[in-house]
Amino acid sequence: MSMKKFAPTLVAAAVATVLFGCQAQATKQDGAKASKAAPAKAMAMAKKGPAPLAPLGNVPVPPDNKITAAKVELGKILFFDPRIGGDASTGCSTCHEPDQGWAWAEDFSRGYPGTVHWRNSQTVINSGYYPRQFWAGSASSNEKQAKSAAKGGVAGNGESDIMEARLALIPEYRKRFKDVYGSEWPLISDVWKAISAFERTLNTTGKFTTPIDEYLKGDKTALSEEQLRGKAVFEGKGGCINCHNGEQASDLDFHNIGIPPNKRWEEDGLAQITFRFEQYAKGQTQEGYRGAKSDWGFYYRGKNKWDKGKFRTAPLRYTAYTAPYMHNGVFYTLEEVVDFYDRGGFDEEGRTTLFPENKSKLIKPLGLSDQEKEDLIAFLGAFSGPEVTVAKPEMPEYAPLFTKAELKAAQEAK
Amino acid sequence: MGVRVTTGRSLLAAALGLGVTISAQAGQYPDIGPLPQLKTNAAKAELGKRLFFDRRISGDAGISCSDCHKPENGYAHPDALSPGYPGNGHFRNSISLINVAHKKVWNHDGRIGTNLNDMTREMLTEDYTMNMDMRIMQERAKQDPVYVKMFKDAGYGEPSNGSIRKAIPEYMKTLTSSGAPFDSGKMSASAKRGMATFKGKGGCIQCHNGPLLTDQKPHNTGVAENFDVFMDPMNHQTFIAFTMFQGIPDYMNLKRDPGYFNITLLEKDMGKFITPSLRELKYTAPYMHNGTIKSLAGVVDFYNRGGGKDSNKSKMLKPLKLSTQEKKDLVAFLESLSGNQLTSSKHVWQQPYPAEYEAISNWTKVRN
Repeated sequence: MSMKKFAPTLVAAAVATVLFGCQAQATKQDGAKASKAAPAKAMAMAKKGPAPLAPLGNVPVPPDNKITAAKVELGKILFFDPRIGGDASTGCSTCHEPDQGWAWAEDFSRGYPGTVHWRNSQTVINSGYYPRQFWAGSASSNEKQAKSAAKGGVAGNGESDIMEARLALIPEYRKRFKDVYGSEWPLISDVWKAISAFERTLNTTGKFTTPIDEYLKGDKTALSEEQLRGKAVFEGKGGCINCHNGEQASDLDFHNIGIPPNKRWEEDGLAQITFRFEQYAKGQTQEGYRGAKSDWGFYYRGKNKWDKGKFRTAPLRYTAYTAPYMHNGVFYTLEEVVDFYDRGGFDEEGRTTLFPENKSKLIKPLGLSDQEKEDLIAFLGAFSGPEVTVAKPEMPEYAPLFTKAELKAAQEAK
Repeated sequence: MGVRVTTGRSLLAAALGLGVTISAQAGQYPDIGPLPQLKTNAAKAELGKRLFFDRRISGDAGISCSDCHKPENGYAHPDALSPGYPGNGHFRNSISLINVAHKKVWNHDGRIGTNLNDMTREMLTEDYTMNMDMRIMQERAKQDPVYVKMFKDAGYGEPSNGSIRKAIPEYMKTLTSSGAPFDSGKMSASAKRGMATFKGKGGCIQCHNGPLLTDQKPHNTGVAENFDVFMDPMNHQTFIAFTMFQGIPDYMNLKRDPGYFNITLLEKDMGKFITPSLRELKYTAPYMHNGTIKSLAGVVDFYNRGGGKDSNKSKMLKPLKLSTQEKKDLVAFLESLSGNQLTSSKHVWQQPYPAEYEAISNWTKVRN
């Protein structure tokens, strides 16, 4: 499995090599530190413009979690197993539903029973390529993302001890964990590793390749005329390439593009509960908790006021299957997304971010014609190939760990 | 008998080789008798009552405190093993909450020895009981106008998880024995004879003393394991999660409930459980920490045999050689410790809860 790094880092690292000499070598060694190269990248962009779109290479694999067939199979079962969660009703696939783009087809992810989430469920497809997970980059790997999601109060709401205990009582898991990890009992940390290994196989490569990838690899017939015109808008008048660039069609950085708050927070009591909980859980100040009326995004990571309303640039592959769009799912179609950008980051009612002072200078009215919009949407379609499907695994059953005879013997020995 | 620092009374008892019939022994223990009255704040207790019966204070909004502590079962549960949180079972019997506010130590293994506020937190947050992230619980309460008003009226200000953990214990204080023949002096002749056996030949008073009829100390009486703890993976997973979290050695191979061993990790405490109160037990069958004895007659028989089989069993337990009549009288006495059921609206929240959370109107304009 190649350890090829994604293009933005490569480009950034290359530039950084010029700027910082050997410090960039560290960046090269560690994809998770790609963000360190961001200033250099910005300087590079100022000089040379954004990195060109590039075909998707091989998914990066961390050295401490090699991909094996047995591990992927185990991870697949765990991904679909609702017992990896609080009340055994809510597993990974509950909110990352393969039939809904490995995401969730409503604005907010459905969340743990008795709650609703507050952000849009992101697709698992290609997630192995990202140095940081979640909309605000709060997890630095698939492994950490899986753990956070399984344990979060409005997601899986599971606790490590009970989840690990359940696995110990399922003979098939005992056998599979022993085969894969050599451990006497399944360990919860290995659960996150197995799930991540499975996720790293869910990519738009091979038979799931996309027209854009085929085109970028040299098949000039892969895009239609309309899509090629859309590509020109994407890279030119539309300015999309400014952030949606490189191998992921994302700079993997954080921007405030003007997304307005989801109106559901004004109408849905359950959503209001989660909204306040999230302010609380993410370490808001008292004043922040009292006053917040939208998701402050990247702010929660470093508590810098200039990060309010910033979210990670969404990669564009597989978007044909992952509606609705944006961190809070406010747009249900790509048409709405394009119109939003065309207006300079305003929705059809003229609403925008509650932090206009942080809105990216790159976002301005585009003056696209209807034809240009249609072409652009056609081009966005080139980022999706066949739907990624897997056969849903059978859930292994519980079985008692001890026999009655063993229990009787223990009772006698007391 | 090595000199171990336990309590003077048990030491003395042990030294005297109790279990022998000495009616004088009753005098060596805190007297059984009526419980002192507890002062309660009506508004806070009323709020606690609404919370106690509200399923929305569990993680998936599936169970309330009252689902394992049912009013009609003396605020305990009729199953041998408590149902636990959806998705798992439990490995011990649900303890009655009547008079719980009088206790100094909580849980069968006595792992909480501070106050009911901590006990409430434990039950709310443990993954196998209510699995509640209290930050969500607080925001749920703030979303219900009835709670907003009740918290304010109770002097708590806005709803918070801190005041939830105060209000529920305030309600607990209202769950106290009332009208027990033992307290009102209306005991039958049989119950009175049973009391004499209790204090004398039966030796029950050695551990079941004081107004609660418990010394609130750990003892090993040799209660047999409930095999359902291990044969049903739903229960066993909770047992494993608990012993793992508590740091019990070799928890995966454990085939018995370690009891008080959990607190000290000393072998001498293996299989000890805190003496339960005997009040209101008429409603709280089945008995013992794991619900393995179905009736009071069964419990009396168990002690008459000198308890169960355990190398670590208390030296206080010996065959009692009680006559049929003595056993009957003893049961009559035990039943006289139970009073009126606390099942009326005075103790039970009987109004419906809203089916969904109403949105706070004008949300963009008001402060959170």
